[in-house]
Amino acid sequence: MNGPKIYFTIPLFGGIPVTQTAVSSFVVMVLLCTAGVLLGRNLQKRPSRRQVLVEKGVGMLYDMVRDTMGAHNLYWAPYIGALFLSSLGGTLIGMTGILRSATADLSTTATWAVMTSVLCWGCGIRANGFAGWLKGFADPVPVMLPMNIISEISQPISMAFRHFGNIAGGGVLTSLLYTALATLSGMVLGAVGSNAVVSALLLALGLALLVWGVRVKKPGRKIAGVLFAVTGGLALLGLTGVPYLQVGVPGILSLYFDVFSGGVQALVFSLLTMVYIGNCCPPPEETEPASGAE
Amino acid sequence: MPEFESAFESFVGVNPWTALFTFCNMMVTFLVLRHFLFQPVKKMIDDRQAEIDAMYAQADAARQQAAELEQQYQARLEDVKQESDALLRQAADRARAREAEIVAEAKQQARTLRESAEAQIAQEKKKAVNELKGEIGGIAMEIASQVVEREVREQDHQALIDEFIAHVGDAS
Repeated sequence: MNGPKIYFTIPLFGGIPVTQTAVSSFVVMVLLCTAGVLLGRNLQKRPSRRQVLVEKGVGMLYDMVRDTMGAHNLYWAPYIGALFLSSLGGTLIGMTGILRSATADLSTTATWAVMTSVLCWGCGIRANGFAGWLKGFADPVPVMLPMNIISEISQPISMAFRHFGNIAGGGVLTSLLYTALATLSGMVLGAVGSNAVVSALLLALGLALLVWGVRVKKPGRKIAGVLFAVTGGLALLGLTGVPYLQVGVPGILSLYFDVFSGGVQALVFSLLTMVYIGNCCPPPEETEPASGAE
Repeated sequence: MPEFESAFESFVGVNPWTALFTFCNMMVTFLVLRHFLFQPVKKMIDDRQAEIDAMYAQADAARQQAAELEQQYQARLEDVKQESDALLRQAADRARAREAEIVAEAKQQARTLRESAEAQIAQEKKKAVNELKGEIGGIAMEIASQVVEREVREQDHQALIDEFIAHVGDAS
């Protein structure tokens, strides 16, 4: 399994590589921005059906941010929403088959994780001042200093690798499955194709099963019929290199790895970002001098 | 350097340029979505909520006002009723008093009338008696003179006549 493909290199600053990730990320950005502008247009007091859905989504986002980070951190909601949508879009864009998932590249997830950490630190510095923020590392007891520093560093690393690993791992598994299914197709076709009679019989059996399945409306018999018929047909034609078994099964796997896992990882990443930033931005009454200075 | 290896990034690795692109894309996405989607939609939601809240508050105020007015009217009605009751009672009292007055007056008048009538009757009676006394005296004198057939000295017999009349008066 390779990393993202480098399409071309811009000969500037010693070569800027334009990778699949950069392109995917750009496409996702353009799509999200377009969708955002289209969905946020023409808002009415009496909403259309589209606006109801959009408001539902935006309301859910704000509710979630309020629940997780507190009402005083509600202004973070747009960033969290953008992060969630970028992550989800970055994963789902891999399903097009043309572009590679942007989140299957550590560059992407690490950038977002570092952004979360930097925002966190910024919040801490704004709330307690630079010296206060530094002092926070030795918080309960000074002995905790190395532990706190390690936790601060490991936090973005763990976030980045969690997201990257889930999506890239899904991609790896999917590609392994494709390879395995191609090998299996070759083996089956090789075995069947060596005997024309067997191939013809299989084709006839498959067609019979298919017709029967259509008659009694049993999807299992239809699928088995198609499978047998295609196997027999391809074997008769001598097309032993066709990885026909790759049809269907990876789609189910993709449903899990891309849609479900992608959604979960986007949610987890956004939730962690909310929790971390929320921890660094305590409610105003706890940071009275800082909010007074604002 | 083989062409194949240069065409792919490593599977696990961070390319600073890609990271920079990602950062820029993220910022652009964030700013665009915030400006065109999240903030307007949130503002719309909040505005609508505020409007609904205001409408509810208005409705509550109106209901309260109506209840207050109703109470006021009720109180006023009660007042009016009491007032009219008081007026009626007063009028009835006054009428009763007037009635008693009139009756008393009438009684008084009647009594006065009766008394004066009685007094008049008594006087008339007395006068009649006196007249009668005189007349009877005259008659008696006449009869007596005719009986005695001689001139009786008036002075001598006056006492005798008077006594007689007194007897007559007693007899009447």
